[in-house]
Amino acid sequence: MKTIELARAHRLTGVAAMLLGSVAWSGAAFAQGASNANTSTGAASTNAASASPNAASAAGVQANNSRGGGRGGGGSGGGGSSSGGGTDPGVRGGDPGAGGPLQGLNDAELSFFAGSKDVFMEVDAVPNGLGPRFNLDSCSGCHSQPAVGGSSPPTNPQVALATAAGAKNTLPSFITATGPAREARFVRNPDGSPDGSVHALFTITGRSDAPGCNITQPNFAAAVANNNVIFRIPTPLFGLGLVENVPDTALQSSLSANAQQKRSLGISGHFNLNTNDQTIARFGWKAQNKSLLLFSGEAYNVEMGITNDLFQTEREGNANCQFNATPESVIPLQAADLASPAASFQSDIELFSSFMRLTAPPTPASGAAAPVAQAAGAADQTAAASTQTTGTAGQTTGTASAPSTAASTTSTMLASASADASSVMAAAAGSSTAAQPASSSTSGASVTRGNQVFTNIGCQACHTKSFTTAKAQLTGQSNVTIQPLSDFAVHDMGSGLADGVSQGTANGNEFRTAPLWGVGQRIFFLHDGRTKDLSVAIQQHASRGSEANTVINNYNMLSQTDQQSLLNYLRSL
Amino acid sequence: MRISLYLAIAACLAGMGVVLHGAILSSRDAGFAQSNPETVSVTDGGFASDYFDLSYRAPDGWTEGLPGPAPSQSGYYVLGNWAPKGDFAGTILVVAQDMFFGPDSSDDVKSAVTQFRQVMSKVDGMTIDREPTEVSVAGRPGYRVDFSGVGLFRSMFAIEIRCHVVMFNLTSRDAELLASLAGSLDHLVPVRKTSDPVPECVRDYASENVVHRVEPHAIGIRSVSVPVRVIVAADGSVKHVHVIHASAAQQQNVEDAVRQWKFKPYANQGHPVEVETGMVFNLKPASM
Repeated sequence: MKTIELARAHRLTGVAAMLLGSVAWSGAAFAQGASNANTSTGAASTNAASASPNAASAAGVQANNSRGGGRGGGGSGGGGSSSGGGTDPGVRGGDPGAGGPLQGLNDAELSFFAGSKDVFMEVDAVPNGLGPRFNLDSCSGCHSQPAVGGSSPPTNPQVALATAAGAKNTLPSFITATGPAREARFVRNPDGSPDGSVHALFTITGRSDAPGCNITQPNFAAAVANNNVIFRIPTPLFGLGLVENVPDTALQSSLSANAQQKRSLGISGHFNLNTNDQTIARFGWKAQNKSLLLFSGEAYNVEMGITNDLFQTEREGNANCQFNATPESVIPLQAADLASPAASFQSDIELFSSFMRLTAPPTPASGAAAPVAQAAGAADQTAAASTQTTGTAGQTTGTASAPSTAASTTSTMLASASADASSVMAAAAGSSTAAQPASSSTSGASVTRGNQVFTNIGCQACHTKSFTTAKAQLTGQSNVTIQPLSDFAVHDMGSGLADGVSQGTANGNEFRTAPLWGVGQRIFFLHDGRTKDLSVAIQQHASRGSEANTVINNYNMLSQTDQQSLLNYLRSL
Repeated sequence: MRISLYLAIAACLAGMGVVLHGAILSSRDAGFAQSNPETVSVTDGGFASDYFDLSYRAPDGWTEGLPGPAPSQSGYYVLGNWAPKGDFAGTILVVAQDMFFGPDSSDDVKSAVTQFRQVMSKVDGMTIDREPTEVSVAGRPGYRVDFSGVGLFRSMFAIEIRCHVVMFNLTSRDAELLASLAGSLDHLVPVRKTSDPVPECVRDYASENVVHRVEPHAIGIRSVSVPVRVIVAADGSVKHVHVIHASAAQQQNVEDAVRQWKFKPYANQGHPVEVETGMVFNLKPASM
């Protein structure tokens, strides 16, 4: 038998692709190998082949690469409502339990939250700075499920906006009314060099507030045909101020604390470090953004085309499309009409970041009211399961140094999270074929068991359950324990999810562990929103080169009932 | 078989007259001492590793699973995994952690297994079925720990080979199959056909024993840390450089620099011997 050094062989595929250029090496097997090349060659590795697998898959992707099947036959995915023994109960209905302010804030902070939320919801037009190129005209348009600050809503607002105010945009094929709100990134430049930047979907051409501007949209049809475009959907923003306030040391300790367990599962991971100060960046799909302010400034310019104090220059230089002085959004010298006097003198991006900083984490359903589906034909094997408390996401405790109201009101918050099981089932009916009502006792036991399954099979090795914040400027937010269910590290997710885009020290295969708090109320999953089915999203974690392969193998070995319990637990978050 | 695609591409390129340094083990790289941990031949039937001097025959009827990620920055390797072709009743995962670069790199096998046991015992619903127990795997001393939860029965075997903790992780839906999988580790045998000596592992040998060094320079705009394993020949010259995790350009840059290094020869009981050690280059752009 001949032997080849695998890591170098991965690089070889990349080299081969570069040498061969546009030669038709587009088979799936090759594409997967080339995608692996990204892992070994790091940030500089984007090449002609590396984009292929996901650029192709992202346009209409189905699970296709998991193996095994378990007793429930799980594994093959396929894009249906059930890809194995478990059935996604669907989006949890009832009270959103999200979008409100942090518990324990004082009156001034609450009023600042209200003012910042108003600006977050503002709809902009060209005179306010919109364009010349943009993806949407407001922050809350994309960040709205299940409440302002969330993720992509059920009806994609980009469809209507494409031709609003007389605009002449053509909808790209990957933007649909019932699909996720998306941004598009090209993987390569025309010369084959790495691109990775956002190419805005729309222009202001034809709009009544942009006379004389005549620029064209990027050629998305060609990009799709050439497998040169990948997508990202909005990340939920709830609770990010608390995430921002978790010390680097806590994240580092967490990553190494269960290193031995990770090693038994094929998992490693690393942080996406900010270049200049080497601290941990933690926001965005690849943890590419260091701070919420940076996140806000970049999004304002990239998604809405509004220049600001951090990103002060227009991305589109056509002189006929410049209607405003730049930066378009700056610190106002005259008070704006906002609820908070302090907020009135803040720039928009400061207010966006403040909104994120002051927004509470999503509230999980209480165990008895959690949405569930039952595994077909499965007896309730979970009645005797652990009786530990459920409801693990969210902001849970304040310490002695925090005002006493923080702890007490938190308890109230958790107790009040009573999602209506019947409405959950109604919501589930649209996306799942086998969701069945369950008694409260069954649902509580199943969610409790699902929590145990989550930990036992290794999900929590990356979806780390809790962190404690540092001393905070905001009232009642010091030493708060949060449960974001993420380690905020980036991990190799394999060829099935790879997008070929490097950001910071995250390469084309790597993504930040997606925080799972609030996942029960999310509609679209994974970075490109490729599926609405949570069970498919789980299976998509497995592919060539993924650090999650062993955990997904464990999932596929579970009983049908335990697979279902895991899904029920996730939808309770 | 995982390597077939790469071989096909290599053959294709060879036909085009393209020379790819290091793509295939050359005569210079071939051999026990110069192989790398990730140099593993994985098939449905098992795996063979020159570096770890191990060959494993998977149970009959099992097949190779999805390959894991490339070597990590902390020197972690997924060497192979297998599962039954039919009923998905169990898995075998073989991994290795470089003891020079891990987050708890001072660990020996015993402490690694003990720590692992401690972590698993805190998992809700997990039972430790066998406390860390001394075992022999492939003729090497090691430790085994068994645990179970949510209907899955698992064993972890760990042995130390060349400054790496090599772990065999067995998982099954029933205890009987787990016992059978544990028995399959009896099929681990050495692969060495030469009598080349194994380099001695010496942590931080480069910190005080370099007599001539050429610094690699940063490539690109970002600071990067590049972990490197080096085999120092008995005369102090650099015999082998293994860049564990870096971009292709960075790899070449570091290899070219480190190959020019000279070390103080290492002696064991008065006899000069080869040394295997590790170091990390923190490369920063010149403007920083």
